[in-house]
Amino acid sequence: MNQLKAGFDRLRDNEIYKQWFKNPFTYVMGAVLLSILQIVTLAVSGAPWGVSGAFANWGAWIYEALGGSVAKWYYFSTTGAQNTLEQGFLNHPDSLRNVGIIVGALFATLMASQFKIKIIKNKKQIIAAVLGGLLMGYGARIAFGCNIGALYGGIASLSLSGWVFGFAMFFGAMAGSKLLVKFFM
Amino acid sequence: MKEVILDCFGEACPIPLVKAQNAIEELEIGDVLIVQIDHSCAMKNVPEWATKAGHNVEIEEVDDSEWEVIIEKAK
Repeated sequence: MNQLKAGFDRLRDNEIYKQWFKNPFTYVMGAVLLSILQIVTLAVSGAPWGVSGAFANWGAWIYEALGGSVAKWYYFSTTGAQNTLEQGFLNHPDSLRNVGIIVGALFATLMASQFKIKIIKNKKQIIAAVLGGLLMGYGARIAFGCNIGALYGGIASLSLSGWVFGFAMFFGAMAGSKLLVKFFM
Repeated sequence: MKEVILDCFGEACPIPLVKAQNAIEELEIGDVLIVQIDHSCAMKNVPEWATKAGHNVEIEEVDDSEWEVIIEKAK
């Protein structure tokens, strides 16, 4: 037992461990890694990186599992969308990637010994989280993309729409920050 | 010399940063502000701001995903 503890203590002070698992990467390092990996994503799956679109499918799969049908919903009415739904979760690259992101983030947190179930400090946090989630989810769907699919993927594909999205998001984030300071300070 | 503890556990960015900026205004030079955080991005932006503002800063990891940013007001 003591030996095990001594081993972990040594690992904690190990420079390579600290550099790769403990200390945060720089913003530049993160940007370079994300850019390379989103190129890999485009090359392998044939579609730009997207995150939030998969959640709409998750919702549809859950709804259909409960006996509902989205076949007549405008959002899912195209043949492409119906095909994706029919092929299921395991044949949907975006869904699998999202699971990978969650598992990878958990792994990184555990490796850095920074896992913590955080308290909800007050009811305002719940209201803000639910409201924010609904607005972001709804907005991302009617804009056909979130800050990844529409902004990041758009700009990386040299599409003007990505820049328009970014311009609008900048002012949205400014308004959001003002609200945040107003209601949470 | 005063020592003030600012409990920001459970607060997401940028709340800890704004709270710390407001709290340091109330202090005299030489006083110490201890910001308790459990949001890893606050571990980056709170010390960054305090260093740029010219204060003395130390970060202590007190538990898993819990830090104390110790800021001594220097000007």
